[in-house]
Amino acid sequence: MIPLLLQNAIVFANIVSLMAISATLALSKTNVPNFAVATFGTIGIYISFTCIKLFGIGLYSSLFFCLIFGGIIGVVVYQLIIKPLRRRGATREEIMIATLGLDIFLIALLNIYADYLTRTFKVMARDFTLSAYDFTIVGLNGVFIVSTLFFTATLIFLHLIFTKTNIGIAMKAMGEDQFLAECQGVNTDLLCMVTWFIVGALPAAAGVFFPVNWISNPTISLFIVVSVFASCVLGGFSTIYDAVIGSYIIAMAQVLLVPYLANIVGPWILPYGFLVALLIMILTIIIFPRGLYGLPWNMIGERLQDAFNNMKRRWRFK
Amino acid sequence: MISIPGLEFFMTLIIYIMIFLIITLSYNMAYGYTGIPDFGRAMAAGAGGFLCGYLPGRLMFYMLGFQGDYLENVYLVVDRINVILGENPLLSIALLAITILSGAIAGAALGLLASLPIFRGIRLFYLGVTLLAIQIGFNTIVYHWPSFIRGELGVPVPDPFKWLTYYSSSAISPGILRSIGIIVTSGVVLSTTIFYLVSISRSPLGRVLKAIRDDEISVAALGRDVKGLYVKVMVVSYALTGAAGAIFAFYQGYVVGLHFDRVEWTFWPIAMVILGGLANYKGTVAGTIFFITLKRFIMFYKANLESILPFSPIWIESLLLGAVLILTLIYRPRGLFPERPETSLTRKEIEKMREVKE
Repeated sequence: MIPLLLQNAIVFANIVSLMAISATLALSKTNVPNFAVATFGTIGIYISFTCIKLFGIGLYSSLFFCLIFGGIIGVVVYQLIIKPLRRRGATREEIMIATLGLDIFLIALLNIYADYLTRTFKVMARDFTLSAYDFTIVGLNGVFIVSTLFFTATLIFLHLIFTKTNIGIAMKAMGEDQFLAECQGVNTDLLCMVTWFIVGALPAAAGVFFPVNWISNPTISLFIVVSVFASCVLGGFSTIYDAVIGSYIIAMAQVLLVPYLANIVGPWILPYGFLVALLIMILTIIIFPRGLYGLPWNMIGERLQDAFNNMKRRWRFK
Repeated sequence: MISIPGLEFFMTLIIYIMIFLIITLSYNMAYGYTGIPDFGRAMAAGAGGFLCGYLPGRLMFYMLGFQGDYLENVYLVVDRINVILGENPLLSIALLAITILSGAIAGAALGLLASLPIFRGIRLFYLGVTLLAIQIGFNTIVYHWPSFIRGELGVPVPDPFKWLTYYSSSAISPGILRSIGIIVTSGVVLSTTIFYLVSISRSPLGRVLKAIRDDEISVAALGRDVKGLYVKVMVVSYALTGAAGAIFAFYQGYVVGLHFDRVEWTFWPIAMVILGGLANYKGTVAGTIFFITLKRFIMFYKANLESILPFSPIWIESLLLGAVLILTLIYRPRGLFPERPETSLTRKEIEKMREVKE
């Protein structure tokens, strides 16, 4: 049986992973640092909330709508904001500021929507959880099972796309050098739209799982964004696999380590939980700024092999 | 019924404009001139502001030999401090100067810490992400640290402008006198900021900073210490913002752990600078005056807007901020006043030199 705390940690890791994959894809494929990634997740939370409260659709059935609407929002953001900025040759810093503006704009819209839901439908659209809509099977929470299955399926799907399909290879080429890819006949505009569909859909899907375990409101993204960017920085903002490893390390440290430390030093440490992510991020930047992706894995492997051989030799000698 | 703003509204407007001008001008130095995507500006303002909640009260508490715990009796203690400050103009001015200076030093220290990743050779984009995250962390620590400024409860700040009402006639209201005191204080800091930044922009250093923004590698190839200059700019810029934060805390008279949030103190200054035009002080001044005036009027007419808008007017500022940032970057990336080459000599001086040569 998996302890509840570990289940929650894995659910959080899955949520952060989906968002970190989205942020990494946006940066590595379309050269856009998307600061609104966590707010895309909040949009998912409210799509799911609307499906359940207004249309009576089940919690996990709303996953489909989150994927579709999240993806559409991603494409709309690309067409209305990112594409015009890229067309006029905006720098990465300028695009970064534009996505910050988008983040603020979307948070305001979500707040207006939450007010509207509360006023019109008399539902509590702030500080809510959807835990009542979850199920349990043999001691395992539904959110743990579904989020893990969904995350695994997504990872396999993306892996297959990027390694086995022409569109994935073209995306890789676009990420390396967009102009060169265009010279080879790659339709980069279409690929950017596909990428931004994924960039919008994944965090929105993660938004279905978040309110099952944690209290949600329109500004919750302000806290999640630190974990997401810490994961991306730890991963190295390069590949989806590094983003996933980074996310799991951050989420485990945040959900498992902080309660453990609270037992030792006292409960005062609990409000600072998300600072663990921040601390890991700062240490990453100071010690290995290129993240896990930039580490010399071959050399590390050789060193580990040497150390293992030495240990084996000593053991034989004894 | 639409009410017309009175004298107090315009005094408040002037104070806000002056305080935010210090912030936006110093931000323009970091982003406009040097190209540092600094998303941690609220942290610098907070360094000065929160220190204002921590330092002057405690300083006076120990100087005057009060007994007991400062935070437990903070209202009573600050009331008694205010009575003493009201009778001592010199002590008040000294306390004001020490606090603003300490706020600037705290801001500079944070600027140094925030720019440490630069020494590791990280990309500027990473620095932006890091500063945004560090700023959120900084606010969380202050908010949850009860022994600093009592977190969400906050603390009152001693009033170093009390003596103005003590020595003045009753013809002018105490509120107006206090506002005049704040305007004079922020005027001194703003004048220093403008003088310093304009001098830099007209000096060879200003041109080096612009060159770093445009092509960092070329500047390094010419033997300039690019990383060192980044750090110096961050330190000076954060110090000025820290001073502005301290003045704002004195103006508010109360500091809470929720103050100095990222939207108000980071994103609005960014929007002001971008709308006005980068590396351009005229534009920054125009952007700041425009946005602050707009924000104050929205706040003043909030009740009237409530009946017109289909949503609560508290969200209009965020909608406006997001829309302005996006639209300016798409349609007018160089701002209202595009950057122009700044000459170190005036036109008259150049003409004079030409005449001499001829």
